[in-house]
Amino acid sequence: MTNGETRGPLLAATGLVKAHGRTQALRGADVELRAGEILAVTGPSGSGKSTLLHCLAGIVRPDAGSVTYDQQRLDRLPEKRRSELRRTDFGVVFQFGQLIPELTALDNVALPLMLSGADRAEARARAGEWLERFEASGQAERRPGEMSGGQAQRAALARALVTGPKVVFADEPTGALDSLASEQLMAALAQTARESGTAVLLVTHDAQVAAYADREVEVRDGAVAALEVTA
Amino acid sequence: MSAVGSPLFSEVRLARQLLRGSDRRERWRIALTGAGAALATGFALAAVTLASVEGVYTVSVLHGLLSDPGTRSGVIAGLLLLLVPVLAFLGQCTRIGAVHRDRRLAGLRLAGATPWQVRRVAALETGLACLAGSVVATTGSVVVLLRLWSGPNATTWAGIALVAVGVPVLGAAAGALALRRVVTSPLGRVRRVRPAAGRGPGLLFLAALTLLAGVAPFAVTGGHRFGNRPHWETPLTVFCLVLALGTGAVWLAGATSRGVGRLIAGRARSAAPLIAAERLRDDPWAPARTHAALLVVTVAATAFLCIRHTFLAELRSDEQTGADVAYYTTGLDLTGAALLVALAIALSGLAVGTAESLTTRRRTLAAQVAAGVPRTVLSRALLLETALPLAPALLLAGAGGMVVGAWYATLTGTAALPWTALLVAPAVYASCLLAAATALPLLGRSVSPGELRYA
Repeated sequence: MTNGETRGPLLAATGLVKAHGRTQALRGADVELRAGEILAVTGPSGSGKSTLLHCLAGIVRPDAGSVTYDQQRLDRLPEKRRSELRRTDFGVVFQFGQLIPELTALDNVALPLMLSGADRAEARARAGEWLERFEASGQAERRPGEMSGGQAQRAALARALVTGPKVVFADEPTGALDSLASEQLMAALAQTARESGTAVLLVTHDAQVAAYADREVEVRDGAVAALEVTA
Repeated sequence: MSAVGSPLFSEVRLARQLLRGSDRRERWRIALTGAGAALATGFALAAVTLASVEGVYTVSVLHGLLSDPGTRSGVIAGLLLLLVPVLAFLGQCTRIGAVHRDRRLAGLRLAGATPWQVRRVAALETGLACLAGSVVATTGSVVVLLRLWSGPNATTWAGIALVAVGVPVLGAAAGALALRRVVTSPLGRVRRVRPAAGRGPGLLFLAALTLLAGVAPFAVTGGHRFGNRPHWETPLTVFCLVLALGTGAVWLAGATSRGVGRLIAGRARSAAPLIAAERLRDDPWAPARTHAALLVVTVAATAFLCIRHTFLAELRSDEQTGADVAYYTTGLDLTGAALLVALAIALSGLAVGTAESLTTRRRTLAAQVAAGVPRTVLSRALLLETALPLAPALLLAGAGGMVVGAWYATLTGTAALPWTALLVAPAVYASCLLAAATALPLLGRSVSPGELRYA
């Protein structure tokens, strides 16, 4: 089997078009993500960054264009299969809201493993290891409402990475954090992604956060307007 | 200062503007609140109208059940008891869109409104919906009343006016009270205090029991003093008994939810029971009022079937003595119909509560689906939130009803109890699951990726 670099991009989108009602969010966006790379998607508010991420992660279907993941057309897969892919091959981190408020951090991180059929005790043990890796083991038995924003986002990162995904989609993961917490979170994400060879698609409007990426693309008016190598 | 420029008038105008600009969820709240207020007004109007009739008065309907003051009092008591599930339903309606409404009111604080102004606007929002329901029910009731009865007196009209005004006023007070757990700061942040620890319902139950223990002896001795004529002690004792039963049912429902949540959360092996159990453990008091109404209906319906069976058996044995069987069966059928109405209202409250819990969490649910959590897991968790706590509670309620029925049977010397009474609790349980399942289509809409676009 060849690695991702020799067989082309791991995830590729061509000519993506997507409208939310009368608002045209994407107007023919093209983007590629290679295995193991960190790609920052930047752009002004309302430019279509989040919609691009939703299309690439299979959360929504584009109105036109194609999304290819690991040589299969993601946009043609049924919702059930896309949902399964998001559970097994992808990890997702949002600005907030991805942790279930009533579950402890440990159970939140263990949830994707339980959904994949793991025994709860085993899932909790592996979740504990990931929380420790993100220096959040002290928060294991706390609920999201009892944690700081930075601690909750560390738990969210652990949840996104616990299944060993090939791609992590992060939509403004530091949007609700102060600069120090933001820096710590990004350093942890970048280090873990590089160690495990996980590709990261990072949507952000923060230049300091984008600086952690290997590449940066800018979205303007629903299209990828600029491509720039940052590392 | 003119009335148009007065603060109250501006608040009414603001409340009206907020209602006009509200979303579909808010319109549902208003419609359901209005419907609940109309039901409450209708039952209360029927009760006050019957209460205004003095002495023996020949009423041609219902086999003369309303003619005699004694049986009329029973019908009035039944109508007043029907207000309990209606009020529980109204309480559930005030929770619809609570988070969204809290944020909107926080916006008003940011614009310079004082906490009292915000509370008054919230009260007016609910009060106006209740006023609409009250007007519809009062108009309909008056039309029916004038057709059926030629002799309404001053007391009747005074009672009607009191109910027509009282329901919107009480609705407005409930609207203001619904905000008691929310502190809206001028910075637009909404702080919701942690879910209640359960001491409140427990203390209320104890207070009602203490009150009952204090009043009941007066009713017993008063009965002797006044030659078995009913006096103020009897209705007060009945009121305390109903209060104790109601608060006890709320406490039992909440305590069962918490106990079941704790038990299952530690032992859950899969995601759906874990999510449901942790939600029950986190806030067991949220559905407690609706569950309590269902428990009371189950106890009453089970006991009713037993009592009906025993009573009819005795009536048949006395038939040779010339007893008017139709007179008694009409009363029993009316009671059965009232219980079915109460069950329907309580089930509506459950459906509304389930839908509300979904709309409040829709962003989190959308994020779960985006992260790959299957919708079936979330659907199962939603149904388990109803199924887990109600299973033991309804079993207990059914057993309680059977005990009451068996006690009545021993009084009359009838040994057999109807097997149908055993089916009440399972039937109510199945209906509860169906009522909760009506919210499932809403789950599909709540987890739409569009929810991820808004904070």
